Amino acid sequence: MKHAFPKTFVVGAVALAATLSFGVAVAAPKVGAPAPDFSVVDTAGETWSLGGLAGKKVILEWTNHDCPYVVKHYASDNMQALQKEATAAGYVWLSVISSASGKQGHVSPAQADDLTDDRGAAPTAVLLDTSGDMGRAYDAKTTPHMYVIDPEGTLVYMGGIDDKPTTDQADIAGASNYVRLAMADLAAGNPVATPVTRPYGCSVKY
Amino acid sequence: MMLQSTETPASILQRRSACRGSFQTGIVLLGLSLFWPGLVPANPVTTENVTARLVAERMEVAPGDTLDLALVFEIRPGWHTYWRNPGDSGDPPRIHWSLPEGVEAGPLRWPRPEVIPVGPLANYGYSERAVHLVALSVPAEWPIGEPVHIRADVDWLVCEEECIPESGRFDLTLPTGAAVGPGPIDPLQADVFAAARAGLPDGRIEGAVLGVTDALLGLVIPSDGLPEEIDGAWFFAGEWGLIEHAAEQPWRLADGLLRIDLSPGAMSDEASPEGLLVIADAGGEVRSYEVAAVRGPLPGAMAPDGPIELPLAFLFALLGGLILNLMPCVFPILAMKALSLINGLSGQGPEAARERVLHGLAYTAGVLLFFAVLAMLLLALRAGGAAVGWGFQLQYPPFVVFMAYVFFVIGLSLAGAVTIGSRLMSLGGARTGSGTAGAFGTGALAALVAAPCTAPFMGAALGYAVTLSWPLALAIMLTLGFGLALPFLLLSLVPRLARLLPKPGAWMETLKQALAFPMFAAAAWLVWVLSVQTGSAGVALVLGGLVLLAFGLWLRERTRGLHSARRRWVLAATSAALVGALYLGVATDRLAAPTLSEGEQSASGLASEPYSPERLAAARDERRPVFVNMTAAWCITCLVNERVALSTADLARSFSDAGVLYLKGDWTNRDPAITAYLADHGRNGVPLYVFYPPDGEPQVLPQILTRDMVLSAIRSSTSGSSGRDG
Repeated sequence: MKHAFPKTFVVGAVALAATLSFGVAVAAPKVGAPAPDFSVVDTAGETWSLGGLAGKKVILEWTNHDCPYVVKHYASDNMQALQKEATAAGYVWLSVISSASGKQGHVSPAQADDLTDDRGAAPTAVLLDTSGDMGRAYDAKTTPHMYVIDPEGTLVYMGGIDDKPTTDQADIAGASNYVRLAMADLAAGNPVATPVTRPYGCSVKY
Repeated sequence: MMLQSTETPASILQRRSACRGSFQTGIVLLGLSLFWPGLVPANPVTTENVTARLVAERMEVAPGDTLDLALVFEIRPGWHTYWRNPGDSGDPPRIHWSLPEGVEAGPLRWPRPEVIPVGPLANYGYSERAVHLVALSVPAEWPIGEPVHIRADVDWLVCEEECIPESGRFDLTLPTGAAVGPGPIDPLQADVFAAARAGLPDGRIEGAVLGVTDALLGLVIPSDGLPEEIDGAWFFAGEWGLIEHAAEQPWRLADGLLRIDLSPGAMSDEASPEGLLVIADAGGEVRSYEVAAVRGPLPGAMAPDGPIELPLAFLFALLGGLILNLMPCVFPILAMKALSLINGLSGQGPEAARERVLHGLAYTAGVLLFFAVLAMLLLALRAGGAAVGWGFQLQYPPFVVFMAYVFFVIGLSLAGAVTIGSRLMSLGGARTGSGTAGAFGTGALAALVAAPCTAPFMGAALGYAVTLSWPLALAIMLTLGFGLALPFLLLSLVPRLARLLPKPGAWMETLKQALAFPMFAAAAWLVWVLSVQTGSAGVALVLGGLVLLAFGLWLRERTRGLHSARRRWVLAATSAALVGALYLGVATDRLAAPTLSEGEQSASGLASEPYSPERLAAARDERRPVFVNMTAAWCITCLVNERVALSTADLARSFSDAGVLYLKGDWTNRDPAITAYLADHGRNGVPLYVFYPPDGEPQVLPQILTRDMVLSAIRSSTSGSSGRDG
């Protein structure tokens, strides 16, 4: 009897608290749904978030400069050309490096800037997602893995950069570039015709 | 035709001899081939990571016959090549043939792959050696004695964690024999071909069905073609996008059907529902079967998924709702309502009876409306892509503050410190005849304070509900609400029941005042919750808010009956205090959650390892008992359980005595591996405690955990039999 009250109370209190056990967690990103938010610093130490890009069209490119699939698109100038085309069309282009410290593709801010200069790349910013939080929020699986977000913050494309999953630069000429197609669909005010494809490349080195 | 087909091999021979003409060039090219292995034919091709060769099973082939070739990769230890669906990354080998006219090569065949975890991702591929068989057919009109020269250009990707694309050009010359039928077997290659055939699918299973529910894909396969005792099952999706490759695949056998639960991938609706089923039988032998499933509703008894079935979920919901009436956070409000009913009984006659019924119905409507709104909100958020669980509203600190205010003010009112306007009073049920609007409000209030209490009892049912289609999910939530409303509804509908309640008297005032304390306790608890969510700054804000609130209410109470002009100033001051308190509450949203220090996390004194599916599987293979604790920093129940149930010294001792591996999964931030694990257990939230005895079925422990539950689970597993009856 003596213990009855505290016990009841503890049970009740735990019961009340158990509500907190059900948390808000972001599920796998879905095309047509709001793109997951993120908060990641770029090579200049500035923090980028999706919330801060409201009203802008955004392209996310997961990258790892040592991955042969990434090399295919940079050595051929294919990625740089796409970056210039996109930023000229008003897109914010964020290259994201989710390689963990010590893993392939992990770079310091200065190294990342050098890579951008050396390759003549033209992203709006290079984000250093060393913790992999942003990569996991987007379920980024490969490098490259591409995402296109419309001005309302809705994810409209996720997947591969094109339909030729090889490391051969010769394949770029005949490939359908899904990002370019998505940009064309958005510009024409149409829904993106091919919203999800298989991303191809090396695994993201979380 | 004949001319052409005899000409072609000859011209190839010429080219080959031209190539051999310059010995030096050959050496230089051979040297280069180490770097550009595609340039010059070689067989085998040796790269840094792979030795690849193209070999024939037989030493000669007869025109009109078929023979098997094997593309063999000997892979550097720790490195991998890939299956036809490589999984989350990677690429399968591709082959491009240059064949004489009329000679045809079939597709590459794919032996059974393995799952290769790469961090949170998974690949399907091969370690050490991959052998791909290809059937080659030689036309009947091929001249006997004329060798068949074939060339294959192969590109493959080989990865450890890093990936290297490699390629090779393979030339192979096959003598043709006069004999009818297959030529003699090449004894040097016999082992390779035997091993390769052992890895090919053992058969094809018809009649499999792939059914979609909101959260899962269920693959149901007739088990008559499968081994009788199944020890393990895995489905390799044949195409990217059908399933999450890294997710666990819980399976079960029942009624002649094998069911595997799969996590849907990014294109689960579009991707072809075919793949390879790999089965390990009780003897440890592994077999594989091609499966081409048909999409459709899951057959018969397999249709309801999740750990509990639909009628049971409704029953739990109703029971859970009934139990809510007894929760400390709901009971005072209901007790007050019941007291008002007792008072109401003093009024006899049809008029009073009608009022009681109206009250009961309005109260029920209030409860149901609140639950419906909450359920809709939950379902809308879920549809929007956020995975939320019941009680999600308390994730938002200002809501916690608001709830603390509500409990505090109700407490003050019950204790008699303040009198709140007649409308709010009727929420407490202190007066009768305050109208059906009051009863409706009481219902909504009861539901508001009850919602936080539902989780521990309703975890399973609600976890199940959110995986259902929305009408069913809504129905379950409403059943829960109906359970909450039921006792009061019965009291108001059946006057005879109400008469069983004790007679009104002075005890009612005492009870009412005493009931203030559970309210204060709930408020105190919420302040503590907030301290965990936002740290001491949040506590300062909410305490300041409570003082403001108390001051405003006191001011209002003291100046009751003052002249109306002055009263207006007082009311303005009261409103200002209220607004100030709410502002302080909203301000808590901007405070970052304090990170729990490592010391606090490991206060349990139990050594834990981070959860990963591989670690769990490895320990299970060693027949080591495992205790899995899925937790999160924002999960207060988890922390309470860790303090109350998992931090005692004797528990640590019995863990080490029994050799229990303690795996802790931290779900503070999204982690697909843990989300998948929770989904496997039919949950959409933490805490989740699962004990795996050395052998036998894993046992899910309750969300409100005590030390004794954990101890008895461990003991029953070590003291013998199955460990099921804890």
